[in-house]
Amino acid sequence: MAQTVSLHPVSTASTPTLDVELRQVSKVFDGEPAVDAIDLQVRQGEFFSILGPSGCGKTTTLRLIAGFEQPTQGGVLIQGRRMEWVPPYKRSVNTVFQSYALFNHLNVWDNIAFGLRIKGLAKTQIKQRVADALKLVKMEEFARRHPKQLSGGQRQRIALARALVNRPAVMLLDEPLGALDLKLRKEMQVELSNLHQQLGITFIMVTHDQEEALSLSDRIAVMQAGKIAQVGSPSEIYESPRTPFVADFIGDTNLLQGQVDYWDGQVMRVKTTTGLTVLVQRSPDPESLKQVVVSIRPEKIHLSQSASDSGNCYSGFVKHKMYLGTHLHCMVQLDNGDSLTVLQPNRTGNQLAVETRVYVHWLPTDCLALAA
Amino acid sequence: MAIASPSEDQDSHPPLGRLGRLRATWIGPLTLLAPSGLWLVLFLVLPTLLILNISLMPGLRPGESPIGYGLGNYSQVFNPWDAAFIPVYIQVIGRSLYYAVTTTVICLLVGFPVAYWLALMAPQRWRNLLVVAFVLPLWTSSLLRSYAWSSLLRPSGILNSFIEWISSIIGVPLPTQDWLYTSTAVLIGLTYNFLPYMVLILYASLEKIDRALLEASADLGARPSQTFLKVTVPQSLPGIAAGCLLVFITSMGDFVVPTLLGGASSMTISRLIYNQFLGITRNWGLGSALSMVLILAVSLAIALLLKYGDRDSIAEA
Amino acid sequence: MPRKPSLFSRPSRRFNPTRRRFLQGTAAAVAGGALSNCRGGISDVQSDDTAATTGGEGDAKTLHIYTWADYTNDELAAKFTDKTGIDVVVDIYDSNETMLAKMQAGGGDAYSLIYPSDYMVQQMIELGMLSELDPARLTGMENMLDKWQDPVYDPKNVHSVPFSWGTTGLLYNKDAVSGTPEDWDYLWDNQSDLARQMTLLEDVRETMGAVLKSLGYSYNSSDPDELKEAYERLVEIKPALAKFMSFGYEDALLGGDLSIVMAYSVDAISLTLEDDRMEYIVPASGSSVWTDTIVVPTSAPNVDAAYEWINFMLEPEVSTFAVESLSFATPNAKSFDMLSDELKNNEDLFPSEEVLAVCEGIAPLDKETSDLYDEYWTQITSA
Repeated sequence: MAQTVSLHPVSTASTPTLDVELRQVSKVFDGEPAVDAIDLQVRQGEFFSILGPSGCGKTTTLRLIAGFEQPTQGGVLIQGRRMEWVPPYKRSVNTVFQSYALFNHLNVWDNIAFGLRIKGLAKTQIKQRVADALKLVKMEEFARRHPKQLSGGQRQRIALARALVNRPAVMLLDEPLGALDLKLRKEMQVELSNLHQQLGITFIMVTHDQEEALSLSDRIAVMQAGKIAQVGSPSEIYESPRTPFVADFIGDTNLLQGQVDYWDGQVMRVKTTTGLTVLVQRSPDPESLKQVVVSIRPEKIHLSQSASDSGNCYSGFVKHKMYLGTHLHCMVQLDNGDSLTVLQPNRTGNQLAVETRVYVHWLPTDCLALAA
Repeated sequence: MAIASPSEDQDSHPPLGRLGRLRATWIGPLTLLAPSGLWLVLFLVLPTLLILNISLMPGLRPGESPIGYGLGNYSQVFNPWDAAFIPVYIQVIGRSLYYAVTTTVICLLVGFPVAYWLALMAPQRWRNLLVVAFVLPLWTSSLLRSYAWSSLLRPSGILNSFIEWISSIIGVPLPTQDWLYTSTAVLIGLTYNFLPYMVLILYASLEKIDRALLEASADLGARPSQTFLKVTVPQSLPGIAAGCLLVFITSMGDFVVPTLLGGASSMTISRLIYNQFLGITRNWGLGSALSMVLILAVSLAIALLLKYGDRDSIAEA
Repeated sequence: MPRKPSLFSRPSRRFNPTRRRFLQGTAAAVAGGALSNCRGGISDVQSDDTAATTGGEGDAKTLHIYTWADYTNDELAAKFTDKTGIDVVVDIYDSNETMLAKMQAGGGDAYSLIYPSDYMVQQMIELGMLSELDPARLTGMENMLDKWQDPVYDPKNVHSVPFSWGTTGLLYNKDAVSGTPEDWDYLWDNQSDLARQMTLLEDVRETMGAVLKSLGYSYNSSDPDELKEAYERLVEIKPALAKFMSFGYEDALLGGDLSIVMAYSVDAISLTLEDDRMEYIVPASGSSVWTDTIVVPTSAPNVDAAYEWINFMLEPEVSTFAVESLSFATPNAKSFDMLSDELKNNEDLFPSEEVLAVCEGIAPLDKETSDLYDEYWTQITSA
């Protein structure tokens, strides 16, 4: 029935378009800013990821939303309401903790029922909702187990269920899959994605795993040193990073430092510090650029035995080779000394031996000039 | 000699059969365990058996030969139909239990907030210092501490002076009391002596609680009071059990405090036992029987401690 | 008169040793509680001649003495060492029973000398724990006052040498009590005014004896009816008692928290000398006269040194010195004569013959009576 379909009844009346909004939020710990004047807008129903290396302030951001930390400056809004002085237990968000934080003095059922009991729901209602939540995470048979008797993946599901059962407006997930092994992580990614689609509520996930962020999110915020480096859809972030940091952090890339030599409004010529001349046709704001970093994704580079006129073509030799199954990962040392990483589909003709002389080439539209 | 040596040789190198191998695997650990085992047998098992033995000799006094063997001493304490039954012994045991239980309850009620504050609220960098400060009294002899209390509690003592000072300030006469040599004094002394143990154990137990659990509770809508009751207390339950049992055990057997601070009506089982051995009554049989009762009560508490207590917290404390 | 200051110039002397003794005693008691079961043979608890726990007993140059606090001091021991070349090691006990328990448990085999009180001497003789003394090796026994030539607890002093004596009575703060206490009855008559300001000795024989005396019976009564009456009289006053205590009341008495305590004369006198408000009386209906003695246990090592010490203490000069520096009454006639008039005339220290006439020594009891005392004592102290 209706209850089993969705744990979160979607109310159509007067829904604010933004579920969570951060306005110039800073958080300072012992004089060190962990979060530095960030603005963030999370739309209702989207799967939003905050991605960044460890120590970039992403977990602090999540904790500011959950209410475990109070901002030093700025305001947090949840569904349009300002959250100053609103303690965590009064916020319509629920968190899935990195460590899961399951209550080991309670069994699975009681863990999930915890929030509902606090709210004082009727027994029959609690029973129904806990059962639904268990079903949703496919853990019906484990209701009487204790957290200690569960595997990591199972605990993860219970932690999810414990948060979901409360029908929060926003689910906060702090590195939810960080403690799982690779295979389990892939499985859970699919499940998370399904859950999100099924429930239609806003998910905000903190992760340091760019692949996870790319595959799950509607939008991603990349954080660096307490600031937001870029917000955008996965493809925007990947294809059009705005800073060298984002380009480097999201996926692999080759970065070449250089100076703009020539710019005709369409094509930019960059002289790298190592002496290469590179033609670039993409850039977020080409007019103002002087010192630049050119980013070329490894999969956009082609290798061939003969020279090509595709725009950028240099000779070198294969220095390293790694067999990845679907792909071949090569390190090519150019004649000027630069090394480039190249990713080639595993296809006939691409199996180049180490020390083989090769040409690398890519299109000017396949590389990107970013302000250094 | 020359002939004897081969046979000697054979004797000293018997084939390593099943028994030999068994011995070889056991001998290593056994030699390591022997000292502590010997210690336990010599200083715990043997004396306890000795006390048990004497407790079965009714009314045995030192220098006398035992008259019979049986449960006479126990019957004198517990059996109302025994001609030699004196109800005061049960009264004394009851009083000792009352002191121990009350001390435990007070220590828990006073110690929990302190430990909670130390573990979860006190500033991190002060925490160790505060814990040390709390444990500092334990570095002096409990005898001296109890003796110091007697000068605080006497009618002209500091406590009453303080009460008078307060009443002079607020203008309301507060009753001063002769605290010393009363059950109240004993309870104050016991609580003072054993509170640090309770705090230490609770602190160790509370400090171990994953902060994420408390956040999770708040996240799920629990107010701080609900979090305290539904998460903090259950999580520290093993520590609470350990602290309570430890305080119970030590205050049950304490001799110094009731002797120094207790009055004409605060005889406890430990003082009673003392009187049977070193005091005036000198009834070793009865004293041993009372000792067995105490040992039994304490052993029971220790058994509970091992079953339900948080051994890590005790070890840390 | 050069001797007078030795008693009067030490106003606080009594405090420290007393408190120390009190603490030591309790600490010993606490330790004793843990160690009381050292020896196995229960029916034969009396110690044999094996080595003692304290050690050093084989050393003829060291004498181990087990005594009350304040019965010897460093000066006395140093004099003895100067004279004989024998080192002295002193251990302290706070009750005859503690001493007996330790000796019986075999923990006292290092001691060549102990100082039991009269009734304990008799008990230890019965237990076969005391050596007979060789009169030929003692010098100065003839100086004992007549009363101590043939004491009831040890006829002809076969096993013991009288060392000191005293009485048991009431020590009070005259500013804190109304009227002048003269007899035990005073406690009962004033129990509401002095509620929780009085203590009795934590000693079954002394306290029961005092109550028996107040009823007109013997200190050593063995009549069950009399004992029952005494018990009931004790029950009557118990709510007014702060505590049963033998030591450690000094601060409270001087500070006004206690008004009247039952005390041994040896402890009381120092306080009366120190503070004018303190008075000591031997109650009119009578009290106990006690004697502390020196004995040699059968387990004693180094008996020669023990005799040396006894003879040293029997020297009138030494005895006089001990009395003056430690303030107890001596049974030695010669040293009594050598005391200052001040001390000789101190009625607290040396009560008149009339007072002593109504006093009794504490005599041992048969087993049934002793059990009855114990039972009443347990009732009164435990309830």
